[in-house]
Amino acid sequence: MLGLGVDRLRADMNRLLALLFHQGVLDEQFLQLQQLQDESSPNFVSEVVNIYFHESEKLLRNLRGLLMDKEFSDYKKIGIHLNQFMGSSSSIGAKRVRNVCVAFRAASEQNNRAGCLRALELLEHEYCYLKNKLHELFHIEQQRVLAAGVRYPMQH
Amino acid sequence: MATMQRVVAAAQSSVSTSGGGGGGGGATNYASSKGVAASCASGTAATELVVISDQFPVGLRVLVVDDDVTCLRILEQMLRRCRYQVTTCSQATVALNLLRERKGCFDVVLSDVHMPDMDGFKLLELVGLEMDLPVIMMSADGRTSAVMRGIRHGACDYLIKPIREEELKNIWQHVVRKKWNENKEVEHSGSMEENDRHKRGNDDSEYASSANEGTDGILKAQKKRSNVKDEDDGELENDDPSTSKKPRVVWSVELHQQFVSAVNQLGLDKAVPKRILELMNVPGLTRENVASHLQKFRLYLKRLSGVAQQQGGVSNTMCGPVDPNVKLGRFDIQALAASGQIPPQTLAALHAELLGRPTANLIPGMDQPTLLQASVQGPKRIPIEHGVAFGQPLVKCQSNVSKHFPQSMISSVEDVSAGFGVWPSNNVNTVVPSSNLSGLSTQNSNMLMDILQQQQRQQQQSQQQSLPPEPSRTINVQPSCLVVPSQSASFQAGNSPASVSQNCSFNRNSVIDYSLLSSQSNNSLVNIGHFSNGDLKTTGALSGYSGPGSISPSVSSCSGNADSSMGRQVQSSTITFGNARQPGFVHNMHDIQGSYGSKTGEVLDQGPLQNLGFVGKGTCIPSHFAVDEFESPMSNMNHGKLFMENNGIRVKQEPSVGFMDNTKVGLPVLQQFSSNDIMSVFTE
Repeated sequence: MLGLGVDRLRADMNRLLALLFHQGVLDEQFLQLQQLQDESSPNFVSEVVNIYFHESEKLLRNLRGLLMDKEFSDYKKIGIHLNQFMGSSSSIGAKRVRNVCVAFRAASEQNNRAGCLRALELLEHEYCYLKNKLHELFHIEQQRVLAAGVRYPMQH
Repeated sequence: MATMQRVVAAAQSSVSTSGGGGGGGGATNYASSKGVAASCASGTAATELVVISDQFPVGLRVLVVDDDVTCLRILEQMLRRCRYQVTTCSQATVALNLLRERKGCFDVVLSDVHMPDMDGFKLLELVGLEMDLPVIMMSADGRTSAVMRGIRHGACDYLIKPIREEELKNIWQHVVRKKWNENKEVEHSGSMEENDRHKRGNDDSEYASSANEGTDGILKAQKKRSNVKDEDDGELENDDPSTSKKPRVVWSVELHQQFVSAVNQLGLDKAVPKRILELMNVPGLTRENVASHLQKFRLYLKRLSGVAQQQGGVSNTMCGPVDPNVKLGRFDIQALAASGQIPPQTLAALHAELLGRPTANLIPGMDQPTLLQASVQGPKRIPIEHGVAFGQPLVKCQSNVSKHFPQSMISSVEDVSAGFGVWPSNNVNTVVPSSNLSGLSTQNSNMLMDILQQQQRQQQQSQQQSLPPEPSRTINVQPSCLVVPSQSASFQAGNSPASVSQNCSFNRNSVIDYSLLSSQSNNSLVNIGHFSNGDLKTTGALSGYSGPGSISPSVSSCSGNADSSMGRQVQSSTITFGNARQPGFVHNMHDIQGSYGSKTGEVLDQGPLQNLGFVGKGTCIPSHFAVDEFESPMSNMNHGKLFMENNGIRVKQEPSVGFMDNTKVGLPVLQQFSSNDIMSVFTE
C-alpha cells in the first residue's frame, strides 16, 4: 500500500512536471538543476529554488517601487534588475518568467511606462504561478521521500 | 628536468588540496608548469601540459563572482561537479580584494557582467591588468552588443545564462590556452597562431600583418610594400580608401587623435562607441567603425599589458640576429629594423596596427634613408670588430660612447623630467622602474606621443615640408627624437653623420615640444638606428672576450635595442658606466656581466641587460626613483645569474625563464604600477 503510494506520488510529480513543461513554465534547465542534486547536496533543487524565490521577491518589490515611484522612473535601473531576474530565472529553467522579463526589458528600454506596468503585472502573475506550482511539486516530492522513508525500514 | 618533477609533484599536491582553501602548494602549480614549458621547445610545451594533465582540470581554481545568489549557488554546484575548486563571491569588490590578496591562488575567474558595486567589465579590466588571469564573463544579456563589449574588454569567453554544465567543463581550456600562448609568445615572440587569433577575434588581419613577425612576417611586409608602393607614392592625403581592399574608414592620424581624445575624455572604461562617435563628430563615421576601432584600441592596450610581462623573454631573441631561425618579437623589430634586419615597413606595420592602415602608407620616402643608413651601417661595423682585434674596437666603442653620450644622457634626463611635467608622474614611474614593463611603457608612451604629437602635428607639418603631408607616426617620431637635444648632432656624429644632418634640419625648428614628446620610447628607435646597432651584433663576441670595464657600452647598446623605451635610458645609463660615475654599481654589474660572458659565449641575455638598465636608470635619473628601485633590479640580477649557472646550455631560453622568476622577485614594483597607470594614461 505504501509502495503504491510512492509510485502514485512519483507519477503525480511527473504529471505535474510534464504539465509545467507543456505550458512552457519550465524548460530543460530545470532538469539540469535536478541532475545537479546528488549525495553531497540532497536538497539542492529546493535550496536553489528557495534562494530564487527570495531574490525574485526582492527584485519584484524593487521593480514595483521603481515604477510606482513618480512620473519619472529609472529605466536603467529597471533594466539592470530585469537582467538579473532574467539570469536567475533562466538558470532555474523558469522559462515563462524569463520571457516576460525580456518583454519587460524591451518596454523599459523604450521608456514605455505603460508597457512596463503591464509587463510587471504579467511578471508578478507568472512568478506567482511558478511559485505555486513549484511548491506543489516540492510538496509532492516531500511526501514521496517520506513515503519512501517509511517503506524503507519496513523492508529490512 | 628537476623542475618538471617538481611540477608534477605540485600538480598532485593541488589535487589533494582541491577541497581546501588553495594553499601555497597549489598556488604555484600552473605557474611552474609554465616555467617548464618555457624551458622546453615549443613543440614539447603542449605535451608537457598533457603529461601533467592526467588529472589536469581537476582542482582548477575558479573564482565565481555574481551578485545573483541563485546563479552563484548553481554555478558553484556545477563547478564542483566538474571537480574544480570553487570560490564564490557575490560582490565584485570583495572578489577583487580576494584576487589581490591571494595572487596566484586562482586560475580562472567567472564574472557576471552586471553587478551593483562594480561593473563586471571594470573587474575584468582590472583583473586583466593586474593578474593577467583568464576572465570569463556571464550574463543573461546575450545581445551581440553586450557580447561584443565583453570581447572588447578582453574577456576570454562570454557565457550566456543559463549556463550549462557542459560549458563549464570546458573552461580549463582558457587557462591552458593562456599559458600556452604566453609560452609561445616567449619562444616565437610574436608569431600568432590559431589560439591567439581566436582570442583576438575580429582583429585578425591587422594583427597578422603587424604581429606575425616571424621571418615570414618580414617577407609579407616586403611583399605588401611592393604591392602598395605605387599607390602609396601618389597618395599623400591617405584618406583615400582605394588602397584598402574593402571600403572602410581609414583611420588617419587626425582621426585617430580625435578618437583618442574622445576616449580620454570619456575614460577608457566608460568609452562606448556611441559616445565616442558623438564626441568625435565626424561626418560619415559610423558607430560600427568606432566600435571596431575601439576594440582594436583596447586589444592593443591589452596586448601591451600582456607583452610587458614577456618582455624579458622576447628581448632575449633580440640578441640573436645571429640565429636566423629566431622569430622576432614586436619590440625586436624596432631594434632590428634599425640594425637593418627588417625593412622599415615592418616597423611601420607595427604602428600601422592601431591605425589599421596598410603598412606601406606609413612610410614616407623621407624616412627610409634614415633607417636604411642605419642598416648599412650596422653590418659595416660588425665585420670590422670581428675581423680585427677585439681590443681595439672596444676601445673605439667606448670612446665614442663616453664622448658623446654624456650629453645625450643629460638630455634624456631632461626628457624624463619634462615627461613628468606633462604626464602624471605615475606613468613615468611605471615606465622607469620595472624592466618588465618596459615593453608596455614603450608602446604606451608611443601612444602618448601620438596623442601629443598629433596635436602638434600642424606645426610639425609646416616644419617638415619635405615630408609628405601624411607622415606616419613612426616618422613623426623619428625626427622628434633626434630633436631632443641639441647634442643629437654630437652623438650621431660618432656613428652616422649623414643621417644626423638630415634630421638636424628638423631639430632646429621643432625645439622643445618634441623633446617632451620623445622623452621615452621613440628615441630608442633612433638611437638604435644611429649608434647602438653596430655594437649590438658584436656584443655576443665582446662579452665573451673582453674585460668587465669595456663591456658596458656594448651591453648597453644591446639592451637598448631590445626594449625600446628602456633601451634609450639604458643607453644613457651606460654612459654613467663609461664615466664610472657610480663605481659601486658598475662593479656589480660587471661581475655579473663577466659570468655571463664566460658561460654563454655567444648569446647575451636580457635579464642582466635590463637590470643594467635599471640600475643605470637609478643612477642617472635624479632623485625620483633612485632609492626604491635599486633593490629589485639587484635581486633580479642575482636571479639571472643563478639561472645561468644552472643550465648553461640552454642559453636562449633562460632569459624567459629567469624572467619569470624575476617577475616574482621584482614584483612589488610591477604590481603596484602596472594596472592603474595604463588606465590613467587614457582616462586622464
